[in-house]
Amino acid sequence: MNPHVTRRAMLKRLVVGAGGAAVANFGGLFNSQTIADEVRRSGKRCILLWANGGASQIDTFDMKPGQPTAGPFRPINTNLAGLQICEYLPRMARHADKLAVIRSMHTSEPDHPGGIYLMHTGYRPAVAVSHPELGAMTAKYCGSLDSDLPDFIRMGSTGNGGAGYLGPLYQPFGLDRNGRLSQFASSGSTPEAVRRRADLLRFVEESSAREHRAEPFQAHRLAQERAWRLQRTRNVFNIDQEWARARERYGDTGFGRNCFMARKLIEAGVAFVEVGQENYDSHADNFVCHKANMNILDPAWSGLLDDLHERGLLRNTLMIWMGEVGRTPGINNRVGRDHFVRGWTVVLAGGGVRGGTVYGATNPNGNGVRDNPVTEGDLFATIYTALGINPRVRHFVGTRPIWATPEGARVVREVLA
Amino acid sequence: MRSFIILTLVAGLAAAGDAPPFQCDKNTLAWSLPWEDDWVTAVAFAGPRTLVAGNEQGAILVWKLPEKVGDPAPLPVRTLDGHTNGITRLVVSPDGRWLVSASKDRTIRIWDMKAQSTDKATVIVDAKKREKAAKKAGMKELPKAPGATVLVQKADRVFAQHKDWILGLALAKDGKTVVSGDDGGQVYVWSFDTAKVEREWKVKGWVFALALSPTTSQALISERIPLVFDSDRHAAVKIWDAAAIKVERDLSPAFKGEFFETAAFAPDGKLLAIGRAGETEKGKIVLLDPATGKKVRELAGHRGGCNDMTFSADGQRLISCGRDTLVRIWNPADGKQVAELGKSRGGQFKDVLHAVSLSPDQRWVAAADMAGMVQVWRCEAK
Repeated sequence: MNPHVTRRAMLKRLVVGAGGAAVANFGGLFNSQTIADEVRRSGKRCILLWANGGASQIDTFDMKPGQPTAGPFRPINTNLAGLQICEYLPRMARHADKLAVIRSMHTSEPDHPGGIYLMHTGYRPAVAVSHPELGAMTAKYCGSLDSDLPDFIRMGSTGNGGAGYLGPLYQPFGLDRNGRLSQFASSGSTPEAVRRRADLLRFVEESSAREHRAEPFQAHRLAQERAWRLQRTRNVFNIDQEWARARERYGDTGFGRNCFMARKLIEAGVAFVEVGQENYDSHADNFVCHKANMNILDPAWSGLLDDLHERGLLRNTLMIWMGEVGRTPGINNRVGRDHFVRGWTVVLAGGGVRGGTVYGATNPNGNGVRDNPVTEGDLFATIYTALGINPRVRHFVGTRPIWATPEGARVVREVLA
Repeated sequence: MRSFIILTLVAGLAAAGDAPPFQCDKNTLAWSLPWEDDWVTAVAFAGPRTLVAGNEQGAILVWKLPEKVGDPAPLPVRTLDGHTNGITRLVVSPDGRWLVSASKDRTIRIWDMKAQSTDKATVIVDAKKREKAAKKAGMKELPKAPGATVLVQKADRVFAQHKDWILGLALAKDGKTVVSGDDGGQVYVWSFDTAKVEREWKVKGWVFALALSPTTSQALISERIPLVFDSDRHAAVKIWDAAAIKVERDLSPAFKGEFFETAAFAPDGKLLAIGRAGETEKGKIVLLDPATGKKVRELAGHRGGCNDMTFSADGQRLISCGRDTLVRIWNPADGKQVAELGKSRGGQFKDVLHAVSLSPDQRWVAAADMAGMVQVWRCEAK
């Protein structure tokens, strides 16, 4: 037993180890530390509501009444003059003045795997480079290494790219689809026994760490450290009692509960939370799929906005609603809509965003962008800017410089406060 | 011997509400009535040769069918004007005078099929054909003439209590009571004559299939919350005591997670058929004993979901249609398919048949075809 091995000392030692040997691979760990410290002080947070499968823009925020592509949903007015959204988002209609609706997304990956990677990283998948997800980048620049809670938490159907070249320190921590700690995160031992075991393992591994500095070993040790630290925060994840009071606001659904958990985590200081909602990939029966989804999304999203607002958290918390693709204006003979990337919608709200904005436009039947196309790179540059992160911040993979957003990405200033 | 045959026939007609037996040894596609504005979603006979269909835009057209196969395909004669969103169900009163239509516009409208009207409009039923011709001829605008001149009729009364899409609709055999259910899970029992609510209750899911027993004592309601991977997905099939508003039989455990889109009681009330919905599932039809809730037999055949079905007046045949683009005719007594109408278009990416109807004289079968037409078959004995 080595009583001198403290958590902080151990972490410091690991960081030094990583710095010495693996800057080539984890360039992001240290290169931008000063910038990160500065951003961190701003207290920016981010929640990504992920519409897994790709939500239909025409059936939500870019309706086309009167067009053959309109479908059976009807538009309703919102509290923002001139903006109409789907009738099955009535609560969100009362929050339109907090939203920035980008109706002119024009992206480059039409299928799920590529699209999920693209809309989590801002880059198309590439063999040579594993890009970090938005969550990892936010964790790095807005998170806190001192926190016992992970800085990047997600639940439900979400991205799977992870921290990429930023390394294991910024890997996402996954809750199960019901927003609960996974079984493996619970220890049957007493806290004291866990602490003693951890100290012993650290002592034993100390010499091993000096000899095995390769990425997998470091990742393993970091994960262990984080798991031990997490044990101290387990109460944060227990929301059963509070949920009984919150379910009316968020809707009594799994996604609603996860959105409530997101609020709790943001309040506890987590930098980035992603909450996935399934069932948007409606190649068949698009309208009943979307209706069922909107019945869940509407109270959950609006409840989260209300809750964050009432607690004074919304001004520093950027909220993003998007999926990997939009859906075709045309309705196929399975009553479905297929993937579409030439004119779809992303919605931002909260910290750094100019509420009550509609940016860009699709053409009358929705078959393409008419005004102000926004690429994935533009979107990520805008998101990073809202979070106080320099969209052109540079990291290294080996000796190769990689920027947070692709060359030519443009910040859409019109949607920023 | 002769008097025995006559007596037997008379007894049979009385049992089947004076309708002759349905025969389907020889089936001929009589007409494919084009209606290309949008998908045709519902169909019903309001008399031996009065055919009504509704589409996804909320329009309803009425045709008078010719006497015999081989006569020219008729054009519509009347449009029922009022709905503003897709027609989901059409049912006709037992005397054939009234049509009841349910819609995604959240209303149910009752139409007097004998009402006089002087308003007229022009309807184009072959818009796609004209579009092609216009394109070929280099014309910029679609030729509007000749169109079909139709009478425009308004609804006699409107039931506007529902707050969501209405997919559940049934009319009692005596024509006095309507039961309807919506995607908010709200079920209303209401007077056909006054449109006043008599009873109401709420179910957990969206009302999908709804059928009323001949005595009006039982209502079959299937529910859905159509999520795929989510823990909030919900499916239920229950037989309700429609008078006491309580669940008589909860069949859900036997059909865990399965959605049923269509249901029908046999005319004598001794059999209940439910048809499974969905694209990738086998579109099985399950026959149940409504008194016990026990499964009697399963009719397997539809590839893809079963969208609609109806019993013949004598209960000896069950007619169903589905996503496999076929109308299938079954013998409920042994579960065997006895005939098939139409041709499979193959695969899951083909236009489906949304609804099916049998004429009151038991001689014509019509199907609402998503491809933009109403198919009409003549069915008869060899």
